[in-house]
Amino acid sequence: MNLEYSGKESIPASKHAVWAFITDPANIAACMPDVVDSTVIDPHTFDAVVGVAVGPVRGKFKFHVVLDPQPGGDRLNMKISGGGFGSVVDLTAGADISAEADNSTTLDWKGSASMRGPVATVGGRVIDAQAKRVISTTFANVKARLSPAAVAEPT
Amino acid sequence: MSTTIEPTPAPKTHSMGHSMKRKEDPRFIRGHGRYLDDFTLPGMLWMSLVHSPYPHAKIVKIDKTAALAVPGVVAVLTGEDLAAHNLAWIPTFHGYDKQMVLAVGKVLYQYQEVAGVIASSREIAQDAAELVDVEYEPLDPVTNPYQSRDDKIILRDDRENKTNHIYHWEVGKRDETDAALAASDVSIKERIVFQRCHPAPLEPCGILADMNPATGRLTLYLTSQAPHAHRTVVSLVTGIPEDKIHVISPDLGGGFGNKVPVYPGYVVSAAASVVLGVPVKWIETRTENLTTTGFARDYHMDVEIGASKDGTVTALKVATVADHGAFDAAADPTKYPAGLFGIVTGSYDFPTAFTELDAYFTNKAPGGVAYRCSFRVTEASFAIERGMELLARKLNMDPSELRLKNFVRKDQFPYPSPLGFVYDSGDYHMTLRKALDMIGYEDLRKEQAEKRERGELMGIGISTFTEAVGAGPSKHFDIMGIKMFDSAEIRVHPTGSAILRAGTKSQGQGHETTWAQIAAEELGLDPQNIMVEEGDTDTAPYGLGTYASRSTPVAGAAIAMASRKIREKARKIAAHLLEAPIDDVEWTNYKFQVKGQPDHTLTMQEIAFAAYTNPAPDSEPGLEATYYYDPPNLTFPYGAYIAVVDVDRETGAVKVRRFLAIDDCGTVINPMVVEGQIHGGLTEGFAIAFMQEIVYDEQGNNLNTNFTDYMVPTSLETPHWETSSTCTPSPHHPIGAKGVGESPNVGSPAAFVNAVMDALAPLGVTHIDMPLTREKVWRACRQATTA
Repeated sequence: MNLEYSGKESIPASKHAVWAFITDPANIAACMPDVVDSTVIDPHTFDAVVGVAVGPVRGKFKFHVVLDPQPGGDRLNMKISGGGFGSVVDLTAGADISAEADNSTTLDWKGSASMRGPVATVGGRVIDAQAKRVISTTFANVKARLSPAAVAEPT
Repeated sequence: MSTTIEPTPAPKTHSMGHSMKRKEDPRFIRGHGRYLDDFTLPGMLWMSLVHSPYPHAKIVKIDKTAALAVPGVVAVLTGEDLAAHNLAWIPTFHGYDKQMVLAVGKVLYQYQEVAGVIASSREIAQDAAELVDVEYEPLDPVTNPYQSRDDKIILRDDRENKTNHIYHWEVGKRDETDAALAASDVSIKERIVFQRCHPAPLEPCGILADMNPATGRLTLYLTSQAPHAHRTVVSLVTGIPEDKIHVISPDLGGGFGNKVPVYPGYVVSAAASVVLGVPVKWIETRTENLTTTGFARDYHMDVEIGASKDGTVTALKVATVADHGAFDAAADPTKYPAGLFGIVTGSYDFPTAFTELDAYFTNKAPGGVAYRCSFRVTEASFAIERGMELLARKLNMDPSELRLKNFVRKDQFPYPSPLGFVYDSGDYHMTLRKALDMIGYEDLRKEQAEKRERGELMGIGISTFTEAVGAGPSKHFDIMGIKMFDSAEIRVHPTGSAILRAGTKSQGQGHETTWAQIAAEELGLDPQNIMVEEGDTDTAPYGLGTYASRSTPVAGAAIAMASRKIREKARKIAAHLLEAPIDDVEWTNYKFQVKGQPDHTLTMQEIAFAAYTNPAPDSEPGLEATYYYDPPNLTFPYGAYIAVVDVDRETGAVKVRRFLAIDDCGTVINPMVVEGQIHGGLTEGFAIAFMQEIVYDEQGNNLNTNFTDYMVPTSLETPHWETSSTCTPSPHHPIGAKGVGESPNVGSPAAFVNAVMDALAPLGVTHIDMPLTREKVWRACRQATTA
């Protein structure tokens, strides 16, 4: 099963701040929802254990995340691979980063996910809802962490 | 649902044809059935399998370390471990291919077995299986047989021929058929797909393997429809002498062909028990059952029928592409790679016919002949019955009239079909006319015409199928070289009760009752006092088991013949006791009597006692016999089914308002048991027609891995079944029986689909592939409306 997503997110922070934030594995791990454990391997790589509940597929999945910042600071690619309980999930994503006149930053992003095993059986509608929740929560957390007025910890 | 046949007490000495209550039911109803998972043995370990998430991938590395570190884990076995013992591959029942036990080198379908974890509890084994770290290198999958056909991706590197093409099979006269089709006034051609489905018995498969190191004997408690065949296969594969293997198949919670093949879980558990010297148990999960064990169908059939203007059929041609999955594991008889698909001419007198089939490997689970189907008869029946419906539409002719015009006539039997079978008996006209009368066909057509005037969608579907079952005659039929006879052994005890053992294995068919009824009828004994035992290879005579509607045609005949051997010996004893020449002693009214002296009689009970206390001077003591029955021909049960449906064009919902099944299975042993078989088969046919399909997406993901996604009808969805029968006994079967277990599943899908297509006829819809889900029907209505 293949799923594809794309969107634009406006972050209320400078491009420099956003770039510094999203290229740090520890920050990304902290913004992803349902992460129960994470280990930063190197400046561009981390492993995460994520609680998954997609229909009857429930448990902890292990993911390996590789960040691939492109030279020039205008684009970040990301590859996530892993799974659990007989399921495999591969996700690739990329975001073009541009500064806006109001000192905010726009992330123009696109991602595709490939799933095999029981998680693929659950059906696109259920997975789609979960995927959208993960994406929106992650961006909400990024915004929250970068907002000047932010005080709350990431959810 | 309701039953029209009520149980009746069987007479004490002649019980054939009576609806005797099933002897096994008190045990089941009270929860005293003993199924595989009820067995536990001291020191028993559990096995759990690791499955591939990929449909096609190289195996780069398997790391057992984490799994072996789990407390309670005893061993982790991989394909490489089995290869060291020459157990990595096993032959398929078909005999022309082999299949992996645990994947070696690469995986060929999603959920393929990759490793087995043996541990002290099921839970530990399952948890540790999650920790077996398998590194894969994904390969592009091939998910349909038409894609497979171009050989751009070769799936089976292990085979000498580097092609995905497994075999080509054909029968009939190609040129003559092509010429007849070309010369026909009218013809139809349609691709008719019988989807991949799964028998899904409520009890999944399992094994408890118990190697006794002291005796060197391996006992296998096994969910097996064919215990003797499994014993032989285990011996051939492992080299363990067959006398050192004991297969016990306990009560089975359904089978429908799913419990015929040998599965990797069996082999891994048995190997583990042999190596470890302790019992090892494996019980499938529902997902394992649906994703890895014997599926059914996946036949893509191009059907052509020619006819003259008056509707007389002139020729039939069917070209099929078959999807066999990763291995050619369809358990067909050796000489019949496409099973009995040659029955595709059905009940009709085609002057000429031709059929060919090409089978291909794909990245799907292997199998193919399960689900209440006598070796591809279901596919064949569906093809011809849909084809005849399409022809009737093309001719603007009533489908019942077209059938009556083209049926093989009663006086044509024994009827040699153009594709090589010799049908034994039947009266197709009588059976269809009875069905038309019972359902009120003319009134229904009038009602349909009125509804069509109002824009309502009502359909009437007919299916008049003929099966070929009872495999089979040894000159044609074998599985891995073993001829497809079957057997019975009967021992009459001194007090007139008896034990009957057969090479078959009931999965719910009621053999404990019907086998006893046959013997009771032949011997004049009380069927309640005949104990039937199956499924134990140490005690039962060798037989090929229960599937393909073969039990009554083959083992049922063996029981009758064994009984007659006993009766012949009893006659000698009777002559001795009655002090009469043997030629003067006759079997009449369930007793031996001296001719012309009705008061000079002996019952079988009296003779049984004498057999042990006062045997005839010139005969052995005792009263028992064994018979191996080699049938002279297949049997050809048939039926006329009519479905009446209403279709809601706004929602696509189909309401099966009526369904009438008239079956002719020859002599009926127990009408209530037959009706139960028909109810079950109709329900499964209904499920196939409207609900069930194993779907793979383009990436090879199996999307129907549990009962949320693979539907089994409940009483809420199941229609009311109306049943009746006609009887044309098989002329070559000792009691005239033909078999019935699969008839309703063979005949009903076409009746359902024909009814829905008939309902949609005003919209111009001619064909929708099964399952006829609401969505498919709704889309067809919508497209027709907007076109």
